[in-house]
Amino acid sequence: MTLNSVIETDFPEEFVEEMEKSQDALPEKIDANPENVEKGLAKLVLTLIELIRKLLEKQAMRRVEADSLSEEEIERVGETLMKLENKMKELKQIFGLKDEELNLNLGPLGDLM
Amino acid sequence: MKLYLYGIIDSSDQVKDSIYGLEGACVYNIPYCDIGAVISECTEPVQNNTKGNVLAHEEVVERLMGHFTVLPVRFHTVFDGRDNLLSMMQSYYKDFRDNLNRLRDKVEFGIKVIWPSDKIKEHITNTYKKNDKKVSVPGNSSNKRFMREKFEKYKLDEEFEKKADKFINVMDMFFSKFAAEKKLKKLKTEDLLLDVVYLVKKDDQDNFREAFEHIKGPHTSFKFLFSGPWPAYNFVILPKNSDLLEDSKQEDLFDKVVQHQELAGAEKI
Amino acid sequence: MHNVVTKSRDVTLLEVLDRVLDKGVVISGDAVISVADVDLIYLGLKVLLSSVETMEKYRGAPITGPMQEPT
Repeated sequence: MTLNSVIETDFPEEFVEEMEKSQDALPEKIDANPENVEKGLAKLVLTLIELIRKLLEKQAMRRVEADSLSEEEIERVGETLMKLENKMKELKQIFGLKDEELNLNLGPLGDLM
Repeated sequence: MKLYLYGIIDSSDQVKDSIYGLEGACVYNIPYCDIGAVISECTEPVQNNTKGNVLAHEEVVERLMGHFTVLPVRFHTVFDGRDNLLSMMQSYYKDFRDNLNRLRDKVEFGIKVIWPSDKIKEHITNTYKKNDKKVSVPGNSSNKRFMREKFEKYKLDEEFEKKADKFINVMDMFFSKFAAEKKLKKLKTEDLLLDVVYLVKKDDQDNFREAFEHIKGPHTSFKFLFSGPWPAYNFVILPKNSDLLEDSKQEDLFDKVVQHQELAGAEKI
Repeated sequence: MHNVVTKSRDVTLLEVLDRVLDKGVVISGDAVISVADVDLIYLGLKVLLSSVETMEKYRGAPITGPMQEPT
């Protein structure tokens, strides 16, 4: 079986690896298994929390960049962000969820994060 | 008789060469007004969904590309009979017509670029250390250290994105000269800098290829993948169908999908 | 089980699959039996296509026409 279209690269394995990573060729399967519904809900909630956490973190970084935080504020923000991050790690562990799983695909808009 | 659909062509003529598709069946054109649906007869479900079938499907579409403008159809699209096929053609005629006009004499090329993200990040970090004498976040408490690390990572990511944008813009500038349309994905993974498809006029194919070789040249630490010419898979624009299904039917559909998944479970390898 | 695919053909297959599985003309609706989803299992260098589920056609009416009750 021969295709007219040419697929040329000196590095086929590297591209296979990257394509598999970006999961392009693997459409999501609908899985309505009841055991997974609970996990699915946890995933959704934690994804949203992660989004907010990342936004807060980014906002803090912008303020550090703009030099608009006092030393005391940096100290307090640092403590809060650190606690948030650790809490999230704990929750991810409890629900057996990996970082990559906490994302939402918005179709043509791409991924949430 | 079940009809397996390969593509929509801008002709009501018969397919001249003998083309064979899935299950070795003969491929022919069912005309509708001035366009046609290219099909072959098949059993359903299509047996042995394998790499072989996928490639056979693609081969048919590419053969058609040689003689017609083709709107390639998704793999495993099967109709229950001529009537159903023709009523689909009736519903979609205008959309198909518009797409065929827009895509006439154009082909798709795909380019993927891998860059050494580790080395790029290393370079950014070294440059930052050299130039920025001031410590980003002074202090040694654990909270301050946390903020310092976060801030440095934030700056690194920002510079990383800027570099990605820079390279992509340069590449895109070269390719866009010969492209009517494009769809671009930046940094799908850290290493996959660019995943882009371009819609190129058939006459401009060689120029496009030359532009690619030009870009490739200086970027010796980058890895490139070039594919094509493809039929315009990524440039077919159709309205979504989901809003044509009423709510009750969507639930019905869901039940049936779940039923089939349970049945299919037994056949999984 | 299918044949082991050599590395360069893997890339080819991935490129084809990327297009053929959900790009181009994607028609869903009553009159079409189509792939609901396709399971691809990668085992290192092997690419397997397994358990293709099909959505059962369950209405005979055309997409634009009024939906009819099953007889």
